[in-house]
Amino acid sequence: MNIPESHLAQEAITALVDGELTAGPAGRAARHLAGCMQCRMAVEAQREAKEALHGSADVAVPGDLMSRLCAIPFTAEMPGSGPGAMSAGPGELTMTGGSGSWSLDLTEPAPRRGHLSARWLRRGVAGTVVGLGVGVTALVLNLPGDGPRGPVGPAADSVRPVQHSEVAPPAVRTVTVGTAPGAPLGGTP
Amino acid sequence: MSEATPDQLASHGADPDVWVAPTWEQVVRDHSARVYRLAYRLSGNAQDAEDLTQETFVRVFRSLASYSPGTFEGWLHRITTNLFLDMVRRRQRIRFDALPEDTERLPGRAPSPEQVYADTHLDPQVQAALDALAPEFRVAVVLCDIEGLTYEEIAATLGIKLGTVRSRIHRGRVQLRSALAHLAPRRPVAGEVGA
Repeated sequence: MNIPESHLAQEAITALVDGELTAGPAGRAARHLAGCMQCRMAVEAQREAKEALHGSADVAVPGDLMSRLCAIPFTAEMPGSGPGAMSAGPGELTMTGGSGSWSLDLTEPAPRRGHLSARWLRRGVAGTVVGLGVGVTALVLNLPGDGPRGPVGPAADSVRPVQHSEVAPPAVRTVTVGTAPGAPLGGTP
Repeated sequence: MSEATPDQLASHGADPDVWVAPTWEQVVRDHSARVYRLAYRLSGNAQDAEDLTQETFVRVFRSLASYSPGTFEGWLHRITTNLFLDMVRRRQRIRFDALPEDTERLPGRAPSPEQVYADTHLDPQVQAALDALAPEFRVAVVLCDIEGLTYEEIAATLGIKLGTVRSRIHRGRVQLRSALAHLAPRRPVAGEVGA
């Protein structure tokens, strides 16, 4: 280039720091930096901000959050109009959708600490979950014809969390169905 | 950072050609730390991070049937960041609508530095500087510098152009650095000390 070289573009400086410049531009940037203190400082500033974040160690997930995450299959409302279906077999929950099916193993995996609630849930409620997930939403949405008769009719007024009592062998289980106890969030995929 | 590889989900099966659907517990075990960390870096506090993580996994669970192997981590990043940006926008709306009883849910209820460090092992000043960034810049910087995503992955995650990714990262880092200098005036900053 005959045009006298101006300073590096800010975005080029960022891309250089992140190794996102292809060989040609990276070479030109390096030649410019060799003679330009101002751009070297800009590169250094970007690098320093990057490194300040880099020391960021792993964050330990709080134990009770882990328990809640593991219990999502038993606590999450399934969207009634969503594609796919759920079915339960012994120790397994299968969801079928447009692009395939997904099985959840509901049997006891390696023992983990602090999973009492998830454990008793897992033992008894495969059928209940399907009843609640599909039945409840089916009842709510397509009253009154085709829903499975199983679940005691949940009030359609959406107070949450909603408590459902359900007879499932070998005892009466109470399952809380509702959005997460945290902030209900809307509007994203 | 020792991190799950992108293939981690599939790696539970012995034969790499046969994709074995993981159990829900495996999904949670393999990905919750990453999601929680991302949520924490974005939101800056444990309560929001827990809420975001929980909601992310609820979305994942609801959409498992339409999940196709290979995009799981990108999918998690996308859900988490979108939920975070939604949360921020919703709170901005709430702030404009001035609902007094909601004030304690607004950003700015800062945990103590000790709590931040105990929670995250990140320098509390760095987290505070992150919190000071505009959410769009914060997301770009966190995805790049903490999650290690490429520009292309960030562009796909956020649904923005590569040039926008570059400029958000650039501006985010400039702000981050000046916030750090502002928070800790005695902290040496490159340019002042020849580093």
